[in-house]
Amino acid sequence: MADNITERANDILERAVFAAAEFQEFNQEQTNTVVEAVYRAALNARIKLAKMAVEETGIGIWEDKVWKNVIGTQLVYENIKDEKTVGIISRDAITGITEIAQPLGPIFAVTPVTNPTSTAIYKILICLKTRNPIIISSHRNAVRSTGEAARICYEAALAAGAPEDCIQMIPAGSRDFTQTVMAHPRVALILATGGTGLVKAAYSSGNPAIGVGPGNVPVFIDESADIPYAISSIIRSKTFDNGTVCASEQSVIVEEKIAENVRKEFERQHCHFLTPEETLKVEKIAVVKDSMSMSPFIVGQSVDTIAEKAGISVPKGTKILLAELSGVGKEHLLSVEILAPILAFYTAKDYHSAIKLCIDLNYLGGIGHSAGIYANNEQRVMEFSQLINAGRIVVNTPTSQGAVGGTYNMLPPSLTLGCGTGGKNITTENITVKHLINIQRVCNRKMNDRFFNVDKDKYLDENCDETDLRYEYHKNH
Amino acid sequence: MFDFDFNPEEKQLTCTFKGRMDTVVCSQLMAELDSKYISLSENEDQDALLEFGIVFDLKEVNFISSSFIRLCMGAKKRVKDGRFSIVNSDPFIKKTFKIAGLDDILNVI
Repeated sequence: MADNITERANDILERAVFAAAEFQEFNQEQTNTVVEAVYRAALNARIKLAKMAVEETGIGIWEDKVWKNVIGTQLVYENIKDEKTVGIISRDAITGITEIAQPLGPIFAVTPVTNPTSTAIYKILICLKTRNPIIISSHRNAVRSTGEAARICYEAALAAGAPEDCIQMIPAGSRDFTQTVMAHPRVALILATGGTGLVKAAYSSGNPAIGVGPGNVPVFIDESADIPYAISSIIRSKTFDNGTVCASEQSVIVEEKIAENVRKEFERQHCHFLTPEETLKVEKIAVVKDSMSMSPFIVGQSVDTIAEKAGISVPKGTKILLAELSGVGKEHLLSVEILAPILAFYTAKDYHSAIKLCIDLNYLGGIGHSAGIYANNEQRVMEFSQLINAGRIVVNTPTSQGAVGGTYNMLPPSLTLGCGTGGKNITTENITVKHLINIQRVCNRKMNDRFFNVDKDKYLDENCDETDLRYEYHKNH
Repeated sequence: MFDFDFNPEEKQLTCTFKGRMDTVVCSQLMAELDSKYISLSENEDQDALLEFGIVFDLKEVNFISSSFIRLCMGAKKRVKDGRFSIVNSDPFIKKTFKIAGLDDILNVI
């Protein structure tokens, strides 16, 4: 059995390496032709793939999945299409440094159940643009839709002249097999988007990895904010695809003095504040107490479904369930990340207490991910941003859409968001093509005159201290 | 440098610090805190001492050094778990404890 797994892994990687070998012969134009063809085919399939994903996974809303597919195809494409990713990408006559982009080789990409087709397409586009073959491993509950997305892209890529096996998909189901492929010495990079376990497995594999894990996004509404606008923005974000984006708001924090207004505004905009009894019922179905993690059964479910599962009744048309919590952590289960339209709501006695609460929430499983602030006070925005450990702090913006980039701000559109070292990532950036190339630097001889003009004997002279050496280094010759 | 208040009924010590808690300040503080504590503990037995509550109030503190963190840890060890807390820290100081990984242990509020 073990041999069989190794053999199959070897086969997949051999195909991928052959594809990589051929791919590195492509010039920028040929590469762009492939990328454009894939983008076109994937964008044309956006609705079909969205519907398939919802049908297969039972998660989210198909119209919003279309939106995600558009982000993963059109917006990603528009962002990367003019990037130089092949051969000489920059040449600086002054420094004498020329940069050459080289592909990495086979990239092992793991895609999540929450955004299956959009993540697959986005990863395919950035891999092909950088001449890297991609091996996709889908979440077991999204194999069909992810497979269909991969198939559509692959056929378009082949028709545009891409190397055979430039896109492969491994069968889901066997953990051993996935891990064998992941740890295969011929894998150049792992691009993992998913839960904590998966990301850890990627980092433990011995191969370089960009692994992006969970968030726990706090949103602070400052007294200077436009409250109705802030609430409608939060609702737009938290209801988007039933809250499946990992950058979606998880808790709203306000000061006492505006709490009543915020609460009324949420209610006016059809959100429901849970009673303490209802909170307990929702907690039971939404969070697994032992692991302090969200239950997979409520991920991407509608308010109606959640209410039904919890055995509570909410007014028709309710958009979000809000739970008023007094603390963070084990005693307050709804303070953890929940990818569903459930929001924690905190009232703090003053500004400083509110920010401290945000820090606690930020550190409860979401370090380095994203955060949001609604304020019309630049100083507070900057203070908040410096205190929160997040790769992206989005201002007066829905966090789901804002963190992903490309729509509400000029961040590179991406479905894999770096979380910095706090989230065990190497970068806090939105992952895009620049992370998938090895940049070689050709350095022409450019003498550092200051160094060569220093009388070298001075370095060997014990009587010369830093002041003398600094003078020697900086003096005009 | 700091105010020291003891509430005999609740057996609670409250230390209110002011200004920058840098290394130099902390080395003096350490001695002062020790002597206060010793004078207070003369009439108490060991078990009763563990039941004391210690609160560090950082309302007027704008910087803490690693020595101050050590000082907090020292104070925490004098009493039972949960009987030590830090109150009124500003968000930047709260973050300092968070990064040191002592936010929960020192019960920073």
